[in-house]
Amino acid sequence: MTNSHDESGRAVEDFLAEAEEIVERLNTDLVTLSDCADSGECDPDLLNAIFRGSHSLKGLAGMFGFADIQLLSHNLENLLDSLRLGKVTLSPEVMTVLFDAMELLSTVVRGLGGGEDCSAAIAEAVARLNACASAEPAGGESPLQKLGIPERILNSLTEYEEHRLLENVRKGRTIYSLHASFSLMSFDQDLGEITEALKGAGEVVSTLPSASATPESMIDFEILYGTELDRDAVAALVDRENVDIATFGAAPAPATPSPAAAVSISPASPPPAPAVVPAPGGEEMTAKSMSRTVRVDIGKLDELMNIVGELVLSHSTISALGTRMRLEGFSSLAIELGKAAKGLERKLTELQKGVMEIRMIPVGQLFEKLTRIVRKVSREQGKKIDLKLFGADTELDKLIIEDISDPMVHIIRNAIDHGLEPPDERVAAGKPERGTIRLSSYQKGNHVVIEVAEDGRGINIEKVKRKALEKGLIKTLEGVADRDALDFIFLPGFSTTDKVSELSGRGVGMDVVKNNIAAVSGMVDIESEFGRGTRVIITLPITLAIIKALLVTTAGRSYAIPITSVLETIIASDADIDTVERKEVYQLRQTTLPLVRLERFFGIARQAPPSGEFYIVVVGVAEKRLGIIVDDLTGQQDIVIKSLGDMFKGYRGISGAADLGDQRTILVLDVGGIIGEAFRSGG
Amino acid sequence: MKKILIAEDSSTMRSLLATTIESLGGYQIVEAASGFEALRLLPREPVDLIITDINMPDINGLELVSFVRSSDNYRHIPLFIISTEGSERDREKGLTLGANEYLVKPFDPARLQELIVKYTA
Repeated sequence: MTNSHDESGRAVEDFLAEAEEIVERLNTDLVTLSDCADSGECDPDLLNAIFRGSHSLKGLAGMFGFADIQLLSHNLENLLDSLRLGKVTLSPEVMTVLFDAMELLSTVVRGLGGGEDCSAAIAEAVARLNACASAEPAGGESPLQKLGIPERILNSLTEYEEHRLLENVRKGRTIYSLHASFSLMSFDQDLGEITEALKGAGEVVSTLPSASATPESMIDFEILYGTELDRDAVAALVDRENVDIATFGAAPAPATPSPAAAVSISPASPPPAPAVVPAPGGEEMTAKSMSRTVRVDIGKLDELMNIVGELVLSHSTISALGTRMRLEGFSSLAIELGKAAKGLERKLTELQKGVMEIRMIPVGQLFEKLTRIVRKVSREQGKKIDLKLFGADTELDKLIIEDISDPMVHIIRNAIDHGLEPPDERVAAGKPERGTIRLSSYQKGNHVVIEVAEDGRGINIEKVKRKALEKGLIKTLEGVADRDALDFIFLPGFSTTDKVSELSGRGVGMDVVKNNIAAVSGMVDIESEFGRGTRVIITLPITLAIIKALLVTTAGRSYAIPITSVLETIIASDADIDTVERKEVYQLRQTTLPLVRLERFFGIARQAPPSGEFYIVVVGVAEKRLGIIVDDLTGQQDIVIKSLGDMFKGYRGISGAADLGDQRTILVLDVGGIIGEAFRSGG
Repeated sequence: MKKILIAEDSSTMRSLLATTIESLGGYQIVEAASGFEALRLLPREPVDLIITDINMPDINGLELVSFVRSSDNYRHIPLFIISTEGSERDREKGLTLGANEYLVKPFDPARLQELIVKYTA
């Protein structure tokens, strides 16, 4: 089918991108569906959209031979088909099965090309889906023939549209056919306006185009519409001259003409159903927005970012040349070059900002995923939870969002599993029956903060301290600050063992969460009040792609410190340094600043004794402060951090390397990691 | 050069169909991402064959078939429906409305090529 490996590789990539997009949308729609299932009446369009999504996915997966996805989406589609055709009722149990199948589908789609074997899980999901979907055929002759709708229209209705039509009849609605002619140039707009107006008070079942008897530049449409309104009211709704309205079957009961625009209800019919609300971003919208967005491989953006980074370096070289020219006496030329370089710098800054913005996505995408998990887990555990979201439009680098997705899931699960109490326990404790989880995000300088706060039982600090004592982490219970004790939770193997098991679960502890977040130069903090709740605060850099760094040297080696973590720098000498419990500290205004000598941290032997004066670089991430002692500061520069590769992965204190442009490579400090280590050994 | 209109909302499926057809040589593809787009394209681009999906966001494929067969201008154009094994009913309807072929996704590329050659000969 394809000519080369390259082409088929690209086709598979396209498939994956589209599949991910479909799965993402399905997930969102499923949440909306679950909401309206709770409240009663559902928008049939929404259910149909979900059906179409799984249908498309099945078709695509089949073409590319992904049997797992095909099988799963096929069975998902079957159940959704039964649901939209009204053969199965949307019960909470069915909803759970749908959520589970969807989650598995997401996992399989994401794990393509090297994921673990999910066949057992898929077989189970398929069995559950099938158990829900009724195999019974719709049975019986269609009563639609009796309505008197022209054959031509009936014949082009899909099975689903037939079902919707019947559903409208069953509800006692009148069926109208609206005939209109539009210019071929603008028919979608005209049609869009009419269907929008109609949807407010009924359901547009189908839109059948027909070749117009009128000039070639025109096109006719037959809109099949079910509503409780009478003919005059429908006409008023459409408010156009060239629309013919025909009525079929179930005419409104009252013989007396009701005033236009009033809702006529036949006595036997149920109370008026709430107006069908068009799904947010209707079909029209998706068709339009499709042409206005471009899907880009993040690798291409990385490449662009690298080029921008290299351009920035070239710019530094040019500026340096200008300086040299001035020193060597070409002053007028040097000034001109200097001006040109300034102009270049401005544009480069814009370019850099532009490329960076492309990588940014709202954390709302992550929140959506977490919302699903909250729903699912709370259902499983019978806990009642109000989830409140704040700052979903805060933007963050896509790669960071991806990398923190798993740790965030873990934190949310912890909050539900171990934080929030069951309803009866909450009531007994004098709390509202429903627990609250606040998921919020906001920008703070060059960082983005994400907080997960719940009003559950909180962490029993005394218990944590006793555990720490048992494990030999502390020698006595006295004098251990609560803040420090909470940090123990992040130690490997601390939280997953027996007695403190309510702090975490599932074998993966908070240490893994911490490491994952540290991998993207982030920090995680915990605050908790026993009996009142726990708050997890995650501080992340906005992007990892390109950053300003402070260049420092110590013992003859150079390092870069991300400027976002640098609070201030201080010139000091040995006389300024105190020792508290064999740890070096510096009195910075009212507070005691713990210190780390960089060469000792990395175990570098000094060739020459240090000079009397040195610098303290005060760094801080989240609420923690640390002074890093270095020999000298050598300047500031934009750097593009590149990962060190697997060989150096997890090398303590280093988050990556950067190219300085003059053939020198420099190591970038992992400030969060250094702070963490300093505090741990200090505690 | 024969022109073929593909009405299909999945971009991946569109390009897959396009690749399959273009590899035959002598065919040019006109892509429509929705039924509406197909309706707009038809008067502008005289085509030799139409391939449509059934499930599309605005009008469905059956409606497109019905439109094509009711128009004096397009009545003669061969038309295939390619859908994911939709219900037997939909298939029957499609063929009754005047679709020439009903293919099921995942389709067999060789079979599609064969049919295209046959109907555009």
